Amino acid sequence: MSDSTDTWRDRLSDYLDGALEDSERSELEEHLEGCEECRETLVELRQVVARAGSLVDAPPARDLWPGIAYRIRETEEGERRGKSFTFSVPQLAAAAVTLVALSSGIAWQIASGFSARQAEPAVSVAQAPAQTGLLLASRIASHDYESAIAQLERVLDVGRERLDTATVRKVEEKLALIDRAIDEARQALSADPSNAYLNQYLAGTMRRKLDLLRRTAALTEL
Amino acid sequence: MPDTDLDFQDAALAAEGDSGAFERLYRRHVTRIYGLARRMAGPDDADELTQDAFVRAWQKIAQFRGEAAFGSWLYRVAISVILGHRRRLAIHRERTAPEEWNREGQPSHERSSEIGMDFETAIERLPARARHVFVLHDVEGYKHHEIGRMLKITAGTSKSQLHRARMLLRATLA
Repeated sequence: MSDSTDTWRDRLSDYLDGALEDSERSELEEHLEGCEECRETLVELRQVVARAGSLVDAPPARDLWPGIAYRIRETEEGERRGKSFTFSVPQLAAAAVTLVALSSGIAWQIASGFSARQAEPAVSVAQAPAQTGLLLASRIASHDYESAIAQLERVLDVGRERLDTATVRKVEEKLALIDRAIDEARQALSADPSNAYLNQYLAGTMRRKLDLLRRTAALTEL
Repeated sequence: MPDTDLDFQDAALAAEGDSGAFERLYRRHVTRIYGLARRMAGPDDADELTQDAFVRAWQKIAQFRGEAAFGSWLYRVAISVILGHRRRLAIHRERTAPEEWNREGQPSHERSSEIGMDFETAIERLPARARHVFVLHDVEGYKHHEIGRMLKITAGTSKSQLHRARMLLRATLA
């Protein structure tokens, strides 16, 4: 192969696309008359371009919409959650006082129901008779929570084949993150069982897990 | 009603939060977007990138003003998602497994010139840059200056990558 063949062969795509100046095109055409190799290459390049232009798009092997719908809902709910924190300072202060009073006992009890390393509460039931009803309810809630989680996990195991891999992966990643957060909160609570912030954080994280499992299980039924 | 009119109508509804309208847009355009994702990024990532593209489109649909066809707008969104994924992947590979990244980044004449190989498979096996330019130019019909803007390369580089891709692919037609 001569140097001039190499040079002109590199311009064949431009020639094919009509991107050469007139003078250059004439020179290339002159070269083509005497170079069989470049003529053959040009024919093959034409075939490649024609083939590319006639490719037919094939649809995905499975319906990707459920995964998109799930993520859109996640986005929307995330935005709503973000918006729900636009309270004024006095509203926040009032809400914080109410939340601490109401949810710390419940959250601690929910947490302790799961943990074999259950620590003694800073305030026992006997010391806080006014909370007895709430604590009893939370024990029931704890049992219900465990049952609900186990049931939803079974539903997901059976139905996961109906979800696309991208959705399954994202859900698994989120569940792993939530489980890690739950473990960390429990460990922190074993050292500081009456910490109101940790109690609320744990309760909120457990609710997120339940919510995520519920919504994913619903997707398997679509 | 033509699809373009339906698209405008559904895009307006989707911008108001109507996910049913957005699903109709998905149904009308998914095959084309999936085809683009598959050719640009390969079959393993095509499902996820298609979903990413539609989720991004949902997030940005209020920015769709109707100056161009919805399909063209969606296509631009998808290309941006696919190329962004590619850049993240390249950074990740550079940090974690440079040898692997280099292997893929180099032209592989042996692989892409297997005679009789399916044309789609041959496209998937092109070096990444040549593949992107080839798909955008010869399959999708973009001009070199547009491709240059998308890929952040010069029009000259786009031309040389296109020629490289075509030369590698011609053996598959033998």
